[in-house]
Amino acid sequence: MDFVVNLLPHVVNGLSLGLLFALIALGFMLIVGVMEVINLAHGSLFALGAYVALIFLGAQPTLAAYALALVAAPLLVGAFGMLLELCMRRTYGRDPLYGLLLTFGAALVIEELIRVIWGSRERSLPLPQAIQGATLIGDLIYAKYRFFACAVAAVLIALLWLFIEKTKVGAIIKAGAHDSEMVRALGYNLARLRLGVFALGTALAAVAGIVMAPIWGIRPHVGVDAVVPAFLIIVLGGVGSFWGAVAAGLLVGLVVGLTGAYASEWSLLSMYLLFIVVVTFRARGLFGRKSALDT
Amino acid sequence: MKSQKRRTLMQAIAAGAGATFFGPWKVHHAWAQSAQKKPLVIGLTMDASGQYGASGGEERLGAMMAIKEFNEKGGVLGRTIEALHMDTETTPATGSRVAERLITRNEAAFLIGALHSGVANAISQVAQKYGCIFLNTNSSSPTEAGVNCHRTKFVWDGNGTNFAHAIVKNAIKVNGKNWVLLTNDYVWGHNTSKATRTLAEANGAKIVEELMVPQNTRDFSPFLIKLQQLKPQVVAAAVGGDDLKAMRRQVVQLKLDRSFAWINNQQDWPDVYGLGPEEIFGVFGTNWYYRLDLPGVKEFVEKYQKAYPGVQIKVPGNVYYNGYMATRELLRAVERAGSTNNIKVIKELENCKVSARDRMQHFDAYMNPATHQIQQTIYMATYNDKPAEKDDIFKILASLPPQDVEDRDAPGACKLETYEATPTYEV
Repeated sequence: MDFVVNLLPHVVNGLSLGLLFALIALGFMLIVGVMEVINLAHGSLFALGAYVALIFLGAQPTLAAYALALVAAPLLVGAFGMLLELCMRRTYGRDPLYGLLLTFGAALVIEELIRVIWGSRERSLPLPQAIQGATLIGDLIYAKYRFFACAVAAVLIALLWLFIEKTKVGAIIKAGAHDSEMVRALGYNLARLRLGVFALGTALAAVAGIVMAPIWGIRPHVGVDAVVPAFLIIVLGGVGSFWGAVAAGLLVGLVVGLTGAYASEWSLLSMYLLFIVVVTFRARGLFGRKSALDT
Repeated sequence: MKSQKRRTLMQAIAAGAGATFFGPWKVHHAWAQSAQKKPLVIGLTMDASGQYGASGGEERLGAMMAIKEFNEKGGVLGRTIEALHMDTETTPATGSRVAERLITRNEAAFLIGALHSGVANAISQVAQKYGCIFLNTNSSSPTEAGVNCHRTKFVWDGNGTNFAHAIVKNAIKVNGKNWVLLTNDYVWGHNTSKATRTLAEANGAKIVEELMVPQNTRDFSPFLIKLQQLKPQVVAAAVGGDDLKAMRRQVVQLKLDRSFAWINNQQDWPDVYGLGPEEIFGVFGTNWYYRLDLPGVKEFVEKYQKAYPGVQIKVPGNVYYNGYMATRELLRAVERAGSTNNIKVIKELENCKVSARDRMQHFDAYMNPATHQIQQTIYMATYNDKPAEKDDIFKILASLPPQDVEDRDAPGACKLETYEATPTYEV
């Protein structure tokens, strides 16, 4: 009984961690799933989002200022993402390596840009009083901010799903991912569609950066900490699968949370072990569609 | 018009290629003409990225300051000193590669710099292979001057055992005997926690659990929930660099800084600089502070501020200090030896003694010839609740002489290579 009582907080914590992992992977998943572009600059855009948010926040921001930062910074990063997409156009239809190299180069450029503008020192993202502090649940103390971050993650996941599944634009995006030639033949502007998807993906990366900043801190290279789990989660969930990415995020969070508590030295490695196990038995990931390789 | 543009472009490319190709020859030619002595190249093996990227930048400034001071008075042995920095990326494999390159290709006479003990160990193995003197400026695993010591390596920071001596007994007396160790899962964390465990248990404390924190951990929530379940009286953390910053932030978010007594074996200045008062909790060790009331400290700080006005860390800390002191003592040793011959310089460094005044510490320091670690004053500190200025964030609680914090196990563990087994090296 004691074991269960002790285990429960770690399960809850693991799931909350999973929601945050899913949030980190969301933008990455969108761009890979719809455009088949592996955006290695995802981590740097994640970092850029947090840094841009600093512009809107004073030492003790109000809730309104924080809300403004949470909206305005992703919009600015989304606009930056559009510029990046314009640069990427020459790589479409060519060896995917070109896209990889371009986004890798962009990641380095963004990181250096951050160093030049904000310096290399660690920074903290100030929070409004309302979401600071801790709350007691049973015997244990939880940070209020973590609840807030999980709520943001859950809302964004739901909104993105609604957008893709229940709107006309979402349907066009999905159709574009499935058969771009047909979408073009039907008179839709595929270039504009890609531009919009890329902007949305990068804006989501920025939101994740802002949400994670009070927990992880902000450093120019903080994006590395985001891009690796993001990549792992979308492959684990099955490339292109929305719920696959969410489920994989939750699973990774759960595994990291539980190993952190009971076999702490394995806590980071555990996500890679999980990945190896899943991919060994199911090469297309948990929710990935069947490919020609499976026949 | 079009062809003219192309011609111009081709000319520009040719000029660029020519400049690149002929550049080095021109430089060598200039040396021959001027009959100047060849500059003394010092390789700076310091992290610019990874877990200790921020601290690596600080120790580099310290080494550069010492080099600048010597160059301003004509260099050393009539040779100007050139510093060549390469990023060791807080990665042991990169450390080895960078060391190999600096010694074999760039003809570095000496290597200076290390934060991460795994990187320091990797560099020192390469340095020993060539006989190149390597100064471990800031990595503090007890193994550095213990089992991983080398004839060519000299350690300039206090180590985990020194800091544990400064803190542990007092923490047991004041806070209690139920302890949990929070250990960064690499060589420094392991050996520092081992030293803390030994001292704590020898003084009657009980280690309830040791939680290993993998390097690059960003989310500490599983560890912090576990700590709440364990309910220790003292949490002894050996967590460093960016990991420590993330941990401090999350501890404060949960207000756990008030739930247990925290001791942090060693607190590097770049890891706390700029943090708010609530995030600098617990008691920790350091080997220098910029507001020590000692002769020379004020001038040392002013010199830093004058030389580096644009840097974000406005006052120097222990990491900068160690980079400076190590480099200065090396160059002094070269002067005393009258040669860059490694064996001669090693012997000078082994007999190195620095007065308290010269080191801006409370007690005289001396090199232990059996371990190659400088024996120095260690300070116990905490957050300063009455700061005299914005950056005055440490309150020094005690200053301990080197004899009181000595790592007595190190001489037994350290087996230095003989002079004969160390390749002679002179550049």
